[in-house]
Amino acid sequence: MIPIRYNVRSLVVRKTTTIATALGVGLVVFVLSSSLMLSAGIKKTLGVSGQDDVAIVLRKGSDAELGSVLDTSAVNTIVGGPGVKHDGAGKPVGVGEVVVVGALEKIGAVGVANVQIRGVTPDGIKFRPHTHIVAGREAKPGSDEVVVGLRIRGRFKGTELGETFDLRKNRPVTVVGVFADEGSSYESEVWVDLDTLRADYGRAGSLSSVRVRLDSPAAFDVFKAAMEGEKQYGYLALRERDYLEKQSQGTSLFIGVMGTLISIFFALGAMIGATITMYAAVANRQREIGTLRALGFSQGSILVSFLLEAVLLAFIGGAVGALASLGMGFVHFSMLNFASWSEIVFGFEPTPGIMMTSLGLALGMGLLGGFFPALRAARVSPVAAMRG
Amino acid sequence: MSEATTEAGTKKESASGAIQIQLRGVSKSYERGGERLKILSELDLDVREGSFEALMGPSGSGKSTLLNLIAGLDRPTSGTITISGKRIDSMSEGELARWRANTIGFVFQSYNLLPVLTAVENVELPLLLTKVPSNERRKRAETALRVVGLEDRKTHYPRQLSGGQEQRVAIARAIVNDPAIIVADEPTGDLDRQSADEILALLEKLNTELGKSIVMVTHDPSAAERASVIRRLNKGALE
Amino acid sequence: MTLTGLAVRNVLRNTFRTVLTVVGVAVATVAFIFLRTLISSWADASDFAVKDRLMTRHKITFVMTLPRHYIDEVRNIPHIKVATFANWFGAKDPKHDKEFFANMGVDADTFFKVYDDMVVPPADLDTWLHDPQGAIVGDVLAAKMGWKIGDKVSLESGIYPSRPQWDFKVDGIYTTKGRSVDRSSFYFHWKFLNDSQPAARKDQIGWIISRVDNPNDTANIAVAVDKVFDEKDTQTLSQDERAFTASFLAGLSAVLTAVNIISVVILVIMMLVLGNTIAMGVRERTNEYGVLKALGFSGQQIALFVFGEAATIGFAGGVLGVLIAYPFVEIGIGRWLEENMGQFFPYFRVPPMVTVTALGLATLLGLLAAAIPAWVASRLRVVDALRRVA
Repeated sequence: MIPIRYNVRSLVVRKTTTIATALGVGLVVFVLSSSLMLSAGIKKTLGVSGQDDVAIVLRKGSDAELGSVLDTSAVNTIVGGPGVKHDGAGKPVGVGEVVVVGALEKIGAVGVANVQIRGVTPDGIKFRPHTHIVAGREAKPGSDEVVVGLRIRGRFKGTELGETFDLRKNRPVTVVGVFADEGSSYESEVWVDLDTLRADYGRAGSLSSVRVRLDSPAAFDVFKAAMEGEKQYGYLALRERDYLEKQSQGTSLFIGVMGTLISIFFALGAMIGATITMYAAVANRQREIGTLRALGFSQGSILVSFLLEAVLLAFIGGAVGALASLGMGFVHFSMLNFASWSEIVFGFEPTPGIMMTSLGLALGMGLLGGFFPALRAARVSPVAAMRG
Repeated sequence: MSEATTEAGTKKESASGAIQIQLRGVSKSYERGGERLKILSELDLDVREGSFEALMGPSGSGKSTLLNLIAGLDRPTSGTITISGKRIDSMSEGELARWRANTIGFVFQSYNLLPVLTAVENVELPLLLTKVPSNERRKRAETALRVVGLEDRKTHYPRQLSGGQEQRVAIARAIVNDPAIIVADEPTGDLDRQSADEILALLEKLNTELGKSIVMVTHDPSAAERASVIRRLNKGALE
Repeated sequence: MTLTGLAVRNVLRNTFRTVLTVVGVAVATVAFIFLRTLISSWADASDFAVKDRLMTRHKITFVMTLPRHYIDEVRNIPHIKVATFANWFGAKDPKHDKEFFANMGVDADTFFKVYDDMVVPPADLDTWLHDPQGAIVGDVLAAKMGWKIGDKVSLESGIYPSRPQWDFKVDGIYTTKGRSVDRSSFYFHWKFLNDSQPAARKDQIGWIISRVDNPNDTANIAVAVDKVFDEKDTQTLSQDERAFTASFLAGLSAVLTAVNIISVVILVIMMLVLGNTIAMGVRERTNEYGVLKALGFSGQQIALFVFGEAATIGFAGGVLGVLIAYPFVEIGIGRWLEENMGQFFPYFRVPPMVTVTALGLATLLGLLAAAIPAWVASRLRVVDALRRVA
């Protein structure tokens, strides 16, 4: 009932206080939004690599490819399982790979980072339809040429196109290509020829995992039953999607929990700031409020008006904070993925849901913070309009 | 009801309309610092329709309190207040608010314009409490400003107006809803002589030409001169 | 009536607003303490590392193993007092397959000599030494999994598939002296692991841990160890325990930086809240400051009032925050983190330094926030200030 322009102009008139309070709310929203975006980014990076019709087989009892050891002969058993797709030539579509962690020297920072290194077969890139070479070429099978993911390139010594680094002492490998995979975790890996890696790392005769392409996503259950049914094999079969989700769970949960905890603290602090501001506003405008009451505006309309003012204040701050957090979309974050003990580069993933949540937080802060001051405003007696 | 005399001793015509405002046995006390202070004691008062009343008295006599009660801003501790047949002492907060919007127009000593609204927006304010549509509201506000002679300043903010102009805007606000009674608390208290006279002339006009009852608290003898009835208060009782 | 008395009364004047501000500062203080404790419980893990312990692993990657006879050669190196070895087992308990914990096969005779900061009751240790399939587990892990001495535990290992299931009996529970090791690990006999390996994979150890006789000399001893194996096919990398821990934390450096930045942001918010309140107070009391100046008080004295008020509120907020932080951060969140994320936060304790810093910062920020309002108040012209009387 009381026109909104009254609230808007009142906010503008006390510029400094309004800006300080809005800034506080904005910071809160920024932090919450960013951590939610990082959490989503982690899920996306790890999840995007997964295909619906791909199943991955690991050693039972292992959590990740890194901790799984299969015998080479396992490949035949696994790709011979029910539901596995066959290509035009009648060959089953599947790849067996070895995954290890190697220490690469950082450029521009002191020390080494643990990077995931994958021993692949020539089918490795073909098996993954979203992976393609963006610079250079594929490595020659059986050679000591390697391709590196987009996020590896140039971040470590010897990982630029054409450079070499040591896979182990006196065993240099040359980077002949760079590949991209839609921002997935593969982009933080180095891909070496399977046999070269096995020789260099003493893993002859073993694999970390076998991936197969199924006839259809529905064929998974039969496949899984067959793989896990034979107890002596000791296999664990997962949809690739589920496997990757498990990989990201710990890390993304960690970030999500930390971010939420921190935001709650922040929110409390900023809310108190907003409350103090609104109380001061009410105190300063006693005469105005008394006048409005004298003119006949009801207590309810005063309450609503001041509540609206608080919400408006919070919303402005929140909108600025949310917009600023969108800028994080250009930032990349290198973090240890707890499941694989290697570093993966994550991005911040803005989603409409996150923006809604963040703005919702701002609104909530305005409502909660502004409630009691608005109540006090509504209680101002019309007599306050008179002198004294 | 007494026929008042001004300081010069001449009688003025008292209004001959029906009794509009009736107070019976009205008392008002406040709690202050643990003590009970009695401001008004068992007051009886009749005000006729169309009257122009001045309330005078020394500081602390309770004249502002009396004004607040008549305007429905406050409630008596005991006694009854009947205005145009309605018992306002027994109305709820919500009912009083609506009643004030319809019945009373306010003129305060310190004008009390909302600093963040323009002149015409300030005048429009009471109309927001009615069902009048927005373009009609704007027209009525402009009309009210015309009555007080300030239509050309309608887009100015209070800080851009002089004291006298602010008070005129306040008067425009007071009449825009066409209330029956205008309540004025020291309307010329903050003004210089010339502006004060302009304001008082306006009030007189509202009374004689538009037929509005006016109850005014004042220190100013020349203001009191314009009234048709002068009442004196001392220590919470009418003399 | 003194000047301080006046200042105190000013603070108590608008009690409600003062209380709100103090609470606001307290909340920011708690958040600050939480974040700094987070960082210190990670980053300082290396501070508590035992100074005379050396870790020797495969040079290229911790994923690769060393030949078993390397332990004999290390034991012969001068300045090495005692040496042991361990293999990462990478297993899970299928009954609690969502719980991750560290499990390792170790050299039974020497392990707890090198890790004397893990305390095992002698009788239990003796039982374990004579039980080839025995296990000694950390007290936090035992509590989480509900294991008691005598319980049978079966694990499945992804790295060592030679058995589909490995059966153990819990022979002892270790507690820790100091903060140099975590309390959530599972140790068993390496011999049990090795005996079950096919010939081609026998006699491989994960890494060697040794104690040196001169803690100030670990760097040189580490170099000496690596030199022994430099010409062989498998080279080693030796580091003291502190460097070893630090290298794992390096992967979290980005997170640590983010947390650091956020703690600064919190301080900024604290300042905004405080500054806002102080500024409001100054605006309201313009008239009074005018009177004081008319009476003869100097601008500096007025500024001192404002500073004093701000410092008081800041300090009070800091104290309240510290009082809340202990039960909330250390006992509430801290215990939860220790139990559920024990690998990363084995000890979540608020360092006294952090408390002192928080208190100091709250007060300091109060002063900073008051700087501009105090300056404004001190420069008020008497005439302007008094004119604002109604």
